[in-house]
Amino acid sequence: MISNAFSYHTPETLEEALAMLEDGGGKILAGGMSLIPLMKLRLASPESVVDLRRIPGLKAITEEGGAVRIGAMATHHEIEISPVIRGKCPLLGEAASAIGDIQVRNMGTIGGSVAHADPAADYPAALVALEARIRLRSANGERTVEASEFFVDAFTTAMEAGEIVVAIEVKEEEASEGFKYEKVAHPASGFPVVGVAVRVKKSGAGIAMARIGVTGMGPHAFRARNAEALLEGGAGAAAAAAVVGEGEETNSDLYASGEYRRHLARVHAGRAIAAALTRAL
Amino acid sequence: MKIGGTYAVPFVPERAFELLQDPAVLCRCMPGCESLTKTGDGEYAMQMKMALAAISGKFDGKVRITESQAPTQFRLAVEGAGKIGFMKGSGLLTISPSGAGSNVQYDGDVQVGGTIASVGQRLVETTAKMLIKRFFDKLGAET
Amino acid sequence: MATTITKPETLFGKRVRRQEDPRLITGTALYLDDLKMPGMHHACVVRSPHAAAKIRGIDTSAARALPGVAAIFTGADVTGLGAVPCAASIPGLRVPHHHLLAQDRVYYVGHPVAVVVGTDRYIARDAAELVEVDYEPTAAVADPEKALAAGAPAVHPEWPDNVAFNFHQEGGDTEEAFRQADVVVRQRITSQRLIPTSIETRGVIAEWRAGERSLTLHSSTQIPHLLRTLVAGILGMPENLLRVITPEVGGGFGSKLNVYAEEALMAYIAMKINKPVKWVESRRENFQATIHGRGHVDYFELAALRDGTILGLKLKLIQDLGAYHQLLTPVIPTLSVLMMPGLYRFKNVNADVVGVFTNCVPTDAYRGAGRPEATHGIERMVDMLAQELKMDPAEIRLKNFVHADEFPYGTATGLTYDSGDYAKPLHKAMAEAGYEQLRREQAAARAEGRLVGIGLSTYGEICALGPSIALPAGGWESATVKVEPSGKVTVLTGASPHGQGEETTFAQIVADELGVPMDDVLVVHGDTAVVQYGIGTFGSRGTAVGGSALYYALQDLKAKMKKFGAMMLGTEQVNFSGGYCVDEATGKSVTFAEMAVAAYHAKKLPANTEPGLVATHFWEPPNFTFPFGAHLVVTEVDRETGAIEIKRYVCVDDIGRIINPLIVDGQVHGGVAQGLGQALWEQAVYDESGQLVSGELTDYALPRASRMPWIESSHTETPSPVNPLGVKGVGEAGTIGCSPAVVNSVVDALSPLGVRHIDMPLTPEKIWKLIEGARA
Repeated sequence: MISNAFSYHTPETLEEALAMLEDGGGKILAGGMSLIPLMKLRLASPESVVDLRRIPGLKAITEEGGAVRIGAMATHHEIEISPVIRGKCPLLGEAASAIGDIQVRNMGTIGGSVAHADPAADYPAALVALEARIRLRSANGERTVEASEFFVDAFTTAMEAGEIVVAIEVKEEEASEGFKYEKVAHPASGFPVVGVAVRVKKSGAGIAMARIGVTGMGPHAFRARNAEALLEGGAGAAAAAAVVGEGEETNSDLYASGEYRRHLARVHAGRAIAAALTRAL
Repeated sequence: MKIGGTYAVPFVPERAFELLQDPAVLCRCMPGCESLTKTGDGEYAMQMKMALAAISGKFDGKVRITESQAPTQFRLAVEGAGKIGFMKGSGLLTISPSGAGSNVQYDGDVQVGGTIASVGQRLVETTAKMLIKRFFDKLGAET
Repeated sequence: MATTITKPETLFGKRVRRQEDPRLITGTALYLDDLKMPGMHHACVVRSPHAAAKIRGIDTSAARALPGVAAIFTGADVTGLGAVPCAASIPGLRVPHHHLLAQDRVYYVGHPVAVVVGTDRYIARDAAELVEVDYEPTAAVADPEKALAAGAPAVHPEWPDNVAFNFHQEGGDTEEAFRQADVVVRQRITSQRLIPTSIETRGVIAEWRAGERSLTLHSSTQIPHLLRTLVAGILGMPENLLRVITPEVGGGFGSKLNVYAEEALMAYIAMKINKPVKWVESRRENFQATIHGRGHVDYFELAALRDGTILGLKLKLIQDLGAYHQLLTPVIPTLSVLMMPGLYRFKNVNADVVGVFTNCVPTDAYRGAGRPEATHGIERMVDMLAQELKMDPAEIRLKNFVHADEFPYGTATGLTYDSGDYAKPLHKAMAEAGYEQLRREQAAARAEGRLVGIGLSTYGEICALGPSIALPAGGWESATVKVEPSGKVTVLTGASPHGQGEETTFAQIVADELGVPMDDVLVVHGDTAVVQYGIGTFGSRGTAVGGSALYYALQDLKAKMKKFGAMMLGTEQVNFSGGYCVDEATGKSVTFAEMAVAAYHAKKLPANTEPGLVATHFWEPPNFTFPFGAHLVVTEVDRETGAIEIKRYVCVDDIGRIINPLIVDGQVHGGVAQGLGQALWEQAVYDESGQLVSGELTDYALPRASRMPWIESSHTETPSPVNPLGVKGVGEAGTIGCSPAVVNSVVDALSPLGVRHIDMPLTPEKIWKLIEGARA
């Protein structure tokens, strides 16, 4: 790595880390899966890098009072294999297991991923479908932001300068829910061209609850509320899938146009809904 | 890369046109613009600092306004170069009345080079659209 | 002395594990970047971000002011040095003077403009960013067809038509063939630019010894000796004072079959600053400044009778050369033309090649080098003809193959195919795949609305390059065999293997010929001070030519050992077998080690015999070899998304005799992987302004292990009469056979929708649009 020169800090407490960010020249290093490549390319040249790995407690995945709290420094692999996640919010584990490759999953963290807000990250689809909350800490204290309000635009979140993601909070999925994360991986980067996360709860022959999160299609992850409403209102999976992404902006690149991404979001929403329904009790 | 879109602004065309020709307004609205200095008729030198996620870079560039036909249309050309690459954009802006305000339609070409072009392919269009959106959002907030 | 001799099992044909692997897979092998020299400096190359621009000035003052910067070189410093060489000799070829650093203009993104040398690589890189180059961008053209259009920007202002050469080849009477034809199929077929992407990028360390006036160049290259000759020429230094060493090479695929500006630049800089200097290419530089492969736009016309008999072929080939000629750039499309008839009997070929300058990095040899493009073309055209005539693609191929009793077979393009039985691998592939059953399953799937395809490619290639008349710098190879006094055997091969496993294959040959254990054999390569002159490894020649040179050197050595054996046994007639010389009359024998000792101690010598046991042989093959084979691919296309699944991959490659099936498997798997890369995923994309927008591995999609289908690989073995080993070469077979089989399969899957051709790569969106188009 032939980056620009930078100073490297390993604070032992969050307070120390926050103090180090005060001058505005520092970048938080979590797993480094986005920051380090950017620094290698010299697209990012922070004056200082504040590595959170020595701060105790930031990795913990715990469950209390019907909610799961995932420390920001938990790696994708830890989330993928966590019994708590598997038992209480398996959709998140399924999304984690689809990220990049094993090396990336061993290094990358959920806090780093949500803070970076890559429009093609995997987690945001699951997080908006899970109605997760992002817990932020700054010198002024803590606050939480709903996932659907957190991802504002490409690489743009509701975070203010001087804030650090400390945890992700997810309400337990009910045991009777079905879930599915479906992804079309870009053949080079492994990022989702589109990723669709679905939760459904059956009620008799109908659907009592549906949540659909979509990533990769547009500049930020979004909930397909129109499709959710159709499902909950008794329309079939096909009819619901057909409106996913309506009115949303699309990304396009060499590999996939915006039109194709929207189409893929619909096809894979249909498939994810069907898969989730087969898992629902 | 072709790029285009339409944004609504809460001004009558005359006012929208006037704002869009005002270097102080342009600088306030262009994401990252640090200074815009007049260098000639419709020509300005610009300094920008772009910051997007961890990516950051300084650009020195030029803004040029040509083909002005008040209050309906003009061409806005922006170019900048820095260590992380260079960009060049030129767009025709057409202003038309819409209700109490106006619609500004832009139609242009963006060309990106250097590191940002060779490694940022999947994000160039998304980013360009976002910056243009931010520009119009800020413009709409002008008084 | 022993009298009971059991001949050891022969190793030829055995799945012997690669001798080189333990060091490679335990991280103990030394690659270029592992090497460090005392006082070593580091270089960073400043490259053009523009595809075309005038250089108005270069200001290096800020860079020079950075502490730790030792020197900066720009175009003006190297004007007097020689040019990056091109070995092509096409009549009328326009050769732009390829300076080591840009002079007053840059011609492609990545064009080297300056070199900054610092005490460490961070300083060099920091300083490189401080070099201010004042560019005046000019219009660029990155597409070869657009470059040919009237009014296109001129890549080189002195040649406004952007044409570097025209090349014509014909055989037979194509016009007459087309007059007789019942049917003519026509198609434009592209073979997209690919980035070779060896895992190890290029790298150079140059070490100047002022006292000796000698220079050692460590370079990750496929051709150490040619590099030495050519770099000595560029620098104007005596060739024998330049030593080239290739450390372990982490892949080349043709991209290191070249002489690059950086190799000569580092040599020059080491002399100038009197310090060792290292340069290691970054991945971005590798994408921008190392040669690309392919880059064809081909217009084909194939004429045939209604019964499927092919009569003739017309081709207009547009080769995207890039901005300069690297070592073999203009030669590559001429190889395509040679292979145009494929495995078929038709004798009428008319081909026009136009080599076109573009504002892109040069193209040159990449695994297959001209033959994948040719094979893709003819195999696609044959399928289109079958589709047109409603014939089975296997049937039309069998009908047109050169017959097994027609070898050696002279082609319309002037080649002589050495040996072959083309129906054999096709029949075998069809049997192994269960072709008839597959067609029935396909019919059933189609009835359900599923898109299932079966694709064939029966390819031929031209390998074991080759007779010297056909190669710019000689087509022979060299080998020295030394039996050391202790009986150990050292082989010096002029071929410079870099991953092909010749350290093992050659040890197998030695063990069989001399009857020594493989472990006693050391194969040395890649050091011009140690190894006699050689040509290198490329064009599937390492074993076929280098191994044959070794074989003959071993015969020379055996003859000498027999003289010692006969002398020691006190007889005239001895047999050399299994590591012994045996007097058949008495049954007495001497061992290999005893003969070695005798030869070096030299207390007594056979008549007219020198001491020592060393033999060197330079061997030139009388002809190329022509491997062939059949690949059969079953695919299914997802009707909703356009995604392609490879359900079966069956290949039967006839590469002549097989020395080590394990290594051959590896070569086939790797070759197929790169063929799949072209068929499905890879493409180097320059945008309209000449920016390489597939500039990193985040966008450029290489084949990955997780996406590979199971490859059902087998062989037929038709020995080549060209060399004593009967081998033909396997390095490129997989790549050449693969892409048309995949595309034919997907086109077959989509044929119910009226699809006739799809250009590579077959990205899902492209397929989806075809499906949508058919629905509309």
